[in-house]
Formats: sequence, C-alpha cells, structure tokens
Amino acid sequence: MNDNSTNSDLLVQYLDGELNKEQHDALQKKIQEDSALAQKLDSLRLAKDSLKSYGLKTRIHNIHAEMMQEDNNKPLVKKPGVLAKMLPYTLRIAASVLVVIGISFLYQYYSASPEKLFEENFQAFDVHESRGSVSTTLTNAYKAGDMKLVIQQYPALKNPTAEENFLGANAFLNNHQAAKAIDIFLALQQQNKNNSTHYFEEDTEYYLALAYLLNSQPQTALPILEKINHDKNHAYHKKINSWFLTRAKRFQAK
Amino acid sequence: MKIRRTFTDAALLEILRSDESPDDAIRFLYITQFDITTRYVNQNSGNDEDAQDIFQELVLVFIELVKKNKFRGESSVSTFLYALTRNIWLNELKKRNRAKLRDEKFDKQQPGTDMDVSHFIMHREMKTVLMRMVDNLGEPCKKILLAFYFDNLAMKDILLATAYDNEQVVRNKKYKCLKQLEQLIAGKPELAKNLKSVLSYE
Repeated sequence: MNDNSTNSDLLVQYLDGELNKEQHDALQKKIQEDSALAQKLDSLRLAKDSLKSYGLKTRIHNIHAEMMQEDNNKPLVKKPGVLAKMLPYTLRIAASVLVVIGISFLYQYYSASPEKLFEENFQAFDVHESRGSVSTTLTNAYKAGDMKLVIQQYPALKNPTAEENFLGANAFLNNHQAAKAIDIFLALQQQNKNNSTHYFEEDTEYYLALAYLLNSQPQTALPILEKINHDKNHAYHKKINSWFLTRAKRFQAK
Repeated sequence: MKIRRTFTDAALLEILRSDESPDDAIRFLYITQFDITTRYVNQNSGNDEDAQDIFQELVLVFIELVKKNKFRGESSVSTFLYALTRNIWLNELKKRNRAKLRDEKFDKQQPGTDMDVSHFIMHREMKTVLMRMVDNLGEPCKKILLAFYFDNLAMKDILLATAYDNEQVVRNKKYKCLKQLEQLIAGKPELAKNLKSVLSYE
C-alpha cells in the first residue's frame, strides 16, 4: 500500500471515529502540517455529508408517500347538495336521532364508571417501525404486538430507556395491570425531570390519567385530565373533551 | 385511528439532533405542518403539487439546520417553519420568473415582522447534482454507504443485509465506495466549493 492510500485509509478511519487516541492525535498533527491532507479530509467529509443529505432526502420522500397514501384513505365527507332536497324527511330523521343520542348520553352519564371510561378510550400506543433506531428486545416485542413478552422482559431491565419505560407501562396497562403501569409512568416522569428531557411527555400524561381511571383513582386522574383539556396545544387535547371531563367529574362527586 | 407519537418543540429538537431515527419526528411534522404549507402555497399562486414538493424540501432544510445547530429554538418550531416555507416558496417563484410581482405582494402581506431565514435556503439545483452523484455510485455502494453513514448501522448489521462474505469485505467495499464519491466530488472543484457551503449552511 503506498503513502497516499495509507493516508486515505487513515483519514476515513479518522472520519468514522475509529482511531485510538494516539493515532487520532498523530493524524491530527499531520493534517495541520499538510494542506493536501487537510484538503483530502475536507473532500471526504463533504462526501459523508452528501450521503447524510441524500439519505435524509430519500427518507423524507418515502414518508411523504406513506402520509399521502394515508390521506387518500381518509373517508370522504359527503357534500350536502342532494340532502337539501330531502330536508323535511331528513328533519324528521334528525329529530329521532337527536332523541336517541340524548338517551344515549344520559345512559352513558349515569352508567359510567372509571373503568368503563378507560375501556372506551384506551388504545395501546402505536409505535411505527423506524429504520436505524435503537431497537431492543423489548421495543421489538412491543412493535410486534407481543405484550406478554414486553411484560416478561421489563422487570429484567436494569436501566430502562425512556422508550422502554413508556412502552413497558403501556404493555402493563394493556394487560389491565394499572398499578404497575402507574409506577412506571411516574418513574418515566421522574427520569425526564432528572435529565431535563421531554421523552413521551404528553403521551405519558394521557396514559397515566387513563391508568388512574382503571385503578379506580378518578380523583387523581382528574387534575391531569383537566390540564390536558385546558391546554389547547396538548397532543391529547382533542381526546379529553368536555364530555369526557364531565363524566370523569361525576366519579369524584360520588 | 392510528395514534402517532407526538412531540413538544423541545422533544422534537432533541430527537432531530440525536442519532435516533427521525421517522416519527418527520411524520409528526407532516401531521402538524403540512396543511399550513399547502394552504400558504395555494394562496400564493401555487397548487397542491407545488405544496408537496415544497414541504419535502422544508422538512429536509429544517432537519439539517437543527442538526447543524443553526436553529436552537429561538422561536417556536411552527413560526420558524412558516418563515422557511415563505422563503423556499419565494425562491421557487423567483425561479419561475414571477419574482417581481410576488415580491411586492409578499412585502405588502408581511410588513417586516417575519424572521429572515433566506440565508438558510440552499440551492435546489446543487442538491440535484449531489443526488445524481450519489445515484451514479450504483446500488451496492449506495446501500453500504447509506447504511453506515445515514442509518448508523454497525458493520455486522450491514453484513446481514448484504451478500458479502465477512465484515472485512464490507469494510473494504465501504472504503472504496466512499473514495469513489470523494473523487467524483473532488474532480469538480467549483461544485465542491459550492456544495460545502450548501451542506454546512454557512
């Protein structure tokens, strides 16, 4: 291997962070003294940056196609033109529907329990496959929908990541083990607080409130639900609407 | 209905700066910002197709700026994206030789309160040349280089996704491919100079 080739090889390793400290320092010194070498490093760095940009552009393009496909699958809203002709008949139907809805609301209000409210609203958090992310046995099991394996794996984790905590808690909640889910959600909130991070912050608030409902602690769930309801920018604001809150408040009054 | 991962501004910036996959963050940007861009483009001489192109460029520029620490949350993400949208779309209109009219219209609509982010906008033509260069490397090279430099995969994982005999063969191939790209770029000094400024957002 000639000098040029050796230098190029070293420069690539330097760029990839694969040199030990001694090699790193020696090469850095050489780069400072040799402008041709510095220029070579510049070109290699540019090639690397180009690849990152290319990869990102391709990834955005793929997600764009996915999102547009989802958008096309949304059900179409019927336009009201034809309905106008049938108005008197429609009004009679509408009145009947209103009565049925009214009865349904009254039934929902008086028959509701915190557990029922949970059942009506809980849907396990949906994680999407993301290439290149740090996958663990637990996150892979969750993505595969194997909640039992997640529940088995979680207690063995010494230092769970925020994602593992969040998905672990969701798996317990999915399995109706509300107390365990609450403990993990609270641990995740503490983890975020200690590290000044915001992983799954709003998701955790929502699911923690649902866990309290399932655990027959509506009085603890209520302040969280009120917070989400009052914060229009909260990701789950639309889910915790006034009707949800009215029903939740009823349990507190019981 | 699918529940997607959501982010606060701080969490969004955090994940985009990290080596974690940006996929969920990109989907979140689509859910929260795409309609805003579409409305803006449609109200300013564009159509839905233009909006789709502009939005893809917007997301690309935004993520690269965050990664280069050029945006640290001085304004809300939404405000910053809106300013970027305007600039990207204005550039596009200029390119279509309708600049003068639109400039006047924009200036009247937004009287100096907007953020100046025009210096962040890269040249689309330059990017196109770059894309073509990477494409010219061929599929095997592209696959290995992107797996290593974009997806941050380890050699042993790249080996599993390719038909090579062992990690050393993959490593040698990666080295040759990177050199090939480097030589393509270095062979065009003027382009290299421009690319450097485009990719560093200086």
